[in-house]
Amino acid sequence: MSPSPPGEPQVQTLACPHCGAPLTLRSMGRAVSIVCDRCHSILDAKDPQLRILQRFEAATNAEVPLIPLGSRGKWRGSVYETIGFQERSMEADDLPYSWREYLLFNPYKGFRYFTEYDGHWNDASVITALPEVQAHSAKYLGKKYKHFQSCSATTTFVLGEFPWRVTVGDAVAVTDYIAPPYVLSSETAGDETTWTLGEYLHGADIWNAFGLPGVAPRPVGVYENQPSEIRASAGQIWFAFSGLFTAIFVIFTLSQLFSQREQVFQESYRFSPSSTEASFVTPEFELKGRSSSVEIRTETDVSNQWVYLNYALIDQDTGRAYDFGREVSYYSGVDSDGHWQEGSQQDRAVLPSVPAGRYYLRIEPESDPSLGLIGYTVTITRDVPVLEIYLAAFAALLLPALLVSWRTYNFEQMRWAESAHPKRSFGGGDE
Amino acid sequence: MIWNRLYLIYGIVVVLLLGAGAYRGWSFTSVNEVKNVPRSIRDNPGSYRAIYASYHHYTGGK
Repeated sequence: MSPSPPGEPQVQTLACPHCGAPLTLRSMGRAVSIVCDRCHSILDAKDPQLRILQRFEAATNAEVPLIPLGSRGKWRGSVYETIGFQERSMEADDLPYSWREYLLFNPYKGFRYFTEYDGHWNDASVITALPEVQAHSAKYLGKKYKHFQSCSATTTFVLGEFPWRVTVGDAVAVTDYIAPPYVLSSETAGDETTWTLGEYLHGADIWNAFGLPGVAPRPVGVYENQPSEIRASAGQIWFAFSGLFTAIFVIFTLSQLFSQREQVFQESYRFSPSSTEASFVTPEFELKGRSSSVEIRTETDVSNQWVYLNYALIDQDTGRAYDFGREVSYYSGVDSDGHWQEGSQQDRAVLPSVPAGRYYLRIEPESDPSLGLIGYTVTITRDVPVLEIYLAAFAALLLPALLVSWRTYNFEQMRWAESAHPKRSFGGGDE
Repeated sequence: MIWNRLYLIYGIVVVLLLGAGAYRGWSFTSVNEVKNVPRSIRDNPGSYRAIYASYHHYTGGK
């Protein structure tokens, strides 16, 4: 036995009585079973002759521990050594599921486990206090854990040493209760029930702590006690949304109160669609103050008719023009369904951020030459509130919040889909 | 936790943009801005070529 620093695991070397392969005993007097990794004999570690308890056939593609036995790493402030590995399986909906358990040992701290399923890891320890089990939950140290699933788990592969009598084919009744990131598990075999408390962790943390080569396998899907990183943010995002929405409302109210709505031009015209040259310009008008919105409202008397107005708001001094077109059409009638109507006789266009200056409007109306005279009134008002930008801002704030909630909902759906209580509808409870 | 911070920063930017837009009078109306329109248009409005003049008009109704 080589001397080790205080608190660090020590090892003892033995030989397998079946195949003679060297065996390393790492947990010293605590080991009850030890497995020969060459011939897969399970040996009685308490027997000086290492009596063979069981031999099992391992498939050629038998599980290779991702954390090699004998790996040492500092975990929660203490040096632990990986001394045992077992794979366990269960069936759900006639489908087999397997997960792997790594037994860790520190001579002062005792044992703890890393469990792994599809790249999801848990750090588990046996607890001594008895949880209070209720119908669909369990309570431990004041925390409530929801029932997730119950199953029968069978040991299908073992390596290393264990502080209990391990055999391949061992079956235990397992029940999991969750309160992410924690999982409370009971394992019952015969009259004996063992409770463990696990905490979800990232494989990368293990790889760093144990100095393992490569990178941890990427997790697949959502695990039973995997914490939803986005869920923790969802409540705060909605809280922020309410504050930001209030800010939008305040800006809207101020805008309603202080918008000048200054009418700078109004004139009525009549247009003959058959005329050869319809374009004309209005008298000059002035837009005062800061750059602001300018509303051009068109009110017509079209009926079963359309008129298209080519507008150009032109700054007389700079020659800058705001060119846009508006169609006004209105149709109505009576048919077998009763009265119907389409379109409107009015139109409103709001030009963005027009600077102060002296302007005139060029108007060029168009319509069906076969139609009669069309009367219309053009009204220009500066500094009007624009509702659309408030709606756009509201939508811009609402959509990410909804997206976060949707992702949270989806995450929980995926989590519980694997449980005994799959959630089936939005906002639905268990089953 | 980073999501709520990102959202808050994003939300503040949206609100600031809204405030600027409300003050400056932004809108979503599609407008074509033309520079250096000649002064002669005042006397000869037909000489100006409207950008939207080739618009396809709806002549429907039910």
